[in-house]
Amino acid sequence: MSVFKPVLTEYIHQKDCHTFPFYKSVGGYTALEKVLKMNPEDVTQEVKDSNLRGRGGAGFPTGVKWGFIPKETNKQIYLINNADESEPGTFKDRLLMNKAPHQMLEGMIIAAYAIGCHTSFIYIRGEFYKEYKLLEKVVAEAYENNLLGDNILGSNYNLDVVIHRGAGAYICGEETGLIESLEGKRGWPRIKPPFPAIEGYLQSPTIVNNVETLSCLPHIVNRGAGWFKAIGPEKGPGPRLFCISGCVNNPGVFEEPMGVSLKDLIFDRAGGIPDGKQLKAVFPGGSSSAILTANEAMDVMMDFEELVEKKSMLGSAGVIVMDETVNMVQACLNIARFYAHESCGQCTPCREGTAWLVKMLTRLVNGGGKPDDIDMLFEITDNIGGLIDFSKGSFGKTICPFGEAVAWPVRSFVEKFKGEFMEYLPQEKVVA
Amino acid sequence: MPLLKIDGKEIEIKSGTTVLQAAEANGIEIPYYCYHPALEIVGSCRMCLVQVEGMPKLQVSCNTFVSDVSSDRKVDGKYDMVVDTQNDLVVQERKNILEFLLLNHPLDCPVCDQAGECYLQDYSFKFGNAHSRFDEAKRVRPNEYLGSQIVINHNRCILCSRCVRFTQEISGSSELFVEARGYNSKIAALEDKPLDNLLAGNVADICPVGALLSTDYIHKNRIWNLKEQPSVCQDCSVGCNVDVFSQKDQILRLTARENLDVNGYFMCDIGRYGFHRFEEIERVTQPMVRNEKSFDTLNWDKAIEKTADLIKKSNGKTAGIVSPFHTNESNFLLGIMINGVLGSLPPITKEEITYQSGFRISADRSPNHKGMNDICGGIVPDLPSEIKAQAIGGLYILDDGVDREMDNVWKEILAKMDFVVVQTYAMTTLARSANIILPGLAPFELEGTITNDRDRVQWLRPSLPTKGESRADWEILMMVMKALDKEEQTFKDVGQVMKVMGEKFPAYKGLSFFRLGPHGMSLNGKADG
Repeated sequence: MSVFKPVLTEYIHQKDCHTFPFYKSVGGYTALEKVLKMNPEDVTQEVKDSNLRGRGGAGFPTGVKWGFIPKETNKQIYLINNADESEPGTFKDRLLMNKAPHQMLEGMIIAAYAIGCHTSFIYIRGEFYKEYKLLEKVVAEAYENNLLGDNILGSNYNLDVVIHRGAGAYICGEETGLIESLEGKRGWPRIKPPFPAIEGYLQSPTIVNNVETLSCLPHIVNRGAGWFKAIGPEKGPGPRLFCISGCVNNPGVFEEPMGVSLKDLIFDRAGGIPDGKQLKAVFPGGSSSAILTANEAMDVMMDFEELVEKKSMLGSAGVIVMDETVNMVQACLNIARFYAHESCGQCTPCREGTAWLVKMLTRLVNGGGKPDDIDMLFEITDNIGGLIDFSKGSFGKTICPFGEAVAWPVRSFVEKFKGEFMEYLPQEKVVA
Repeated sequence: MPLLKIDGKEIEIKSGTTVLQAAEANGIEIPYYCYHPALEIVGSCRMCLVQVEGMPKLQVSCNTFVSDVSSDRKVDGKYDMVVDTQNDLVVQERKNILEFLLLNHPLDCPVCDQAGECYLQDYSFKFGNAHSRFDEAKRVRPNEYLGSQIVINHNRCILCSRCVRFTQEISGSSELFVEARGYNSKIAALEDKPLDNLLAGNVADICPVGALLSTDYIHKNRIWNLKEQPSVCQDCSVGCNVDVFSQKDQILRLTARENLDVNGYFMCDIGRYGFHRFEEIERVTQPMVRNEKSFDTLNWDKAIEKTADLIKKSNGKTAGIVSPFHTNESNFLLGIMINGVLGSLPPITKEEITYQSGFRISADRSPNHKGMNDICGGIVPDLPSEIKAQAIGGLYILDDGVDREMDNVWKEILAKMDFVVVQTYAMTTLARSANIILPGLAPFELEGTITNDRDRVQWLRPSLPTKGESRADWEILMMVMKALDKEEQTFKDVGQVMKVMGEKFPAYKGLSFFRLGPHGMSLNGKADG
């Protein structure tokens, strides 16, 4: 069915694909050689032209983000590689770090060169110990081969890479929470403005890019922005790693062009649903995205714009599949519990609201439902995250998008499977 | 300057001002909790949300800065920003935030010390819902000591993090932090470093709710029973501005009062709890005259008459002793009365403490050292020699209630005297050696001016009623002067003393309580600030 040839994961099934000699043998670091002869501005322009959008979740255009770095600054500029992959249902960055770490590193060096950075960090999720050990080796190899350090590949460009392990909070994947954590503080997202590109790590201009985003860069440099832009929808093109988990026969990471249909992902790549059960609902982009019903899921392309139209989002492209046996009220409680546990506690609506949701849903699941509960669930989620209305911008009510990340999926459960929630209410009310 | 339109009102403000500051300065109330003018902006309580035209989301006004925008981006062709603090969206959002804040709040206002000055209470009344929709169990936690004088009631805490930022940014001691995460977050002190710095009491001041409490005041009274009087701390030469809360003749607590030219928004615990000193002190409330080893009380007329007699008989050989603890006016009057040798009680000096934020506790722990030197120009540096040289036979001392250990020099001086008159409010060692004791007023009872170590004259206002028969120090001095037939100097009140003082000391010219106002005046050019 697929004629698409993987780009980022082309060699992951080959032996020693993570090693430096292997990567070198398949053309690794040739993009870097090319970049080092270019103007940094031209590299940024190339990335802008490619329409590459961030793969971490927000989908912000990478080149545009780089462009926010002040032109005249006497401060250090920092690049942070966000490898804190912690969105439930998302495990693509881990794969890239395990199987193609040099590709990511090359991307980092390219990005750092483009923005004028000489000290860069890999902020890796604390639980990724194996990947951390591997990256240590990878970075050491890069230093040995003059790909990091002073005068990289004979140019007068210098770059150091420091690996920093996170300490296990979901919110440290949010870029300003990550920066605080990297500074040794509590992972509390910062209020914006100022944006990190102006004042980030140590109050200096900072760019935070996701592992997958950075891994795309060598290919954009080698094959050109035009090639990249031609893969999938023009506004959000490129190869994308889709993580499929949940009720499927063949869960895993699948590289597909942007805009692939969700139906194909679930029923072709992931081998459909076990035991001939029916599809019930899908998270298209990690647990922070509003769920899609089976009907919606059968008719959607995995593209930034289209999912926004469906009032969900592509997010981290973590597709979580739920079959007909899943109890939606309990699944909703599970999601709410996760977010209540991970709320940093800084903003009032998120700290108090997430716990309220859990208390209410727990009561509901335990048979204590009250007639007003469903209306209340709508109101509470709206008060935490605001309404999903992208046409007017997202109506976020908290410092970081965590509020939306809990409100939207929880709301979508109640909205789309209201009947199941009604069953937990006192019966006379339902009849009436 | 950018032009801001806020609730239909046009305001020209300095670029870089926040919407919250602009609103506050123009009488528009925007509620907030986490914002504090002296602390870093975090924007986490979400209470100060307002609608900014052209922005899809409500914006936190504490972090929305007004600045000049290019002419093509001006709203209605002239406004740099248009803000609505009253529309339905904002009003509803405030209700929502208050609902969240009250979910786990105990609503124990009837037994809460903050009641009456609680922003959660006030804003709930003004902006909140009348009833709660929360049907679940509340989060309940026991109270804890954060330090020896600060208790936290976790149930009331709204996690605005002002106290944490205070210890990080103002005291620089960083004892406080937020423990755990999300719903389980709570304010905690480091295990091996409790909140016991000299600025700790301020966290109770800046806590917008009844979570942080000073053990010194807890459950003692209700705020609406207390009289609040702006005054100035007299425990060092910085002169922090304070509010004195009292009931009848008792001070219940002191809190810091904002004065950006002196103490910012804070005060130290030495000053905060310093008033207890005056409760413990042995007060003198009646004129007394020595009778062998003890004292007889007598009425004012007699006491003044005896005092004047002694001074007259000494034939100009009476010296005056002023004090760095007394007001400018008292020190000034004594100077006029004695017309001769003036000495001074020694100032009290301890360790100077300066914090990273600039807040300081002066080494000079006397409140009016600077003023005394200004007003009593003729203070002799070497009192013993001067006493010897001029054959001084009597002393009139403005004692200050500080129970100094009398050193040998002083003991010698006192032993040589024919008589010693001590004007004091406390039975100090010095007072015990007096022939006549005239009862004056204690700090927080007296009125007058003091000058801090940075040349700022500030107004001490009386917070407590006078005790027994004691009288204002300037009044006593005036009575003595009258008895000494110095009729040319009569003053109706302490304000007149100040005026005459200004005629003699140009730096103090034109001062009045009215001009000093709540924040005092700088002597350098006399301009505010």
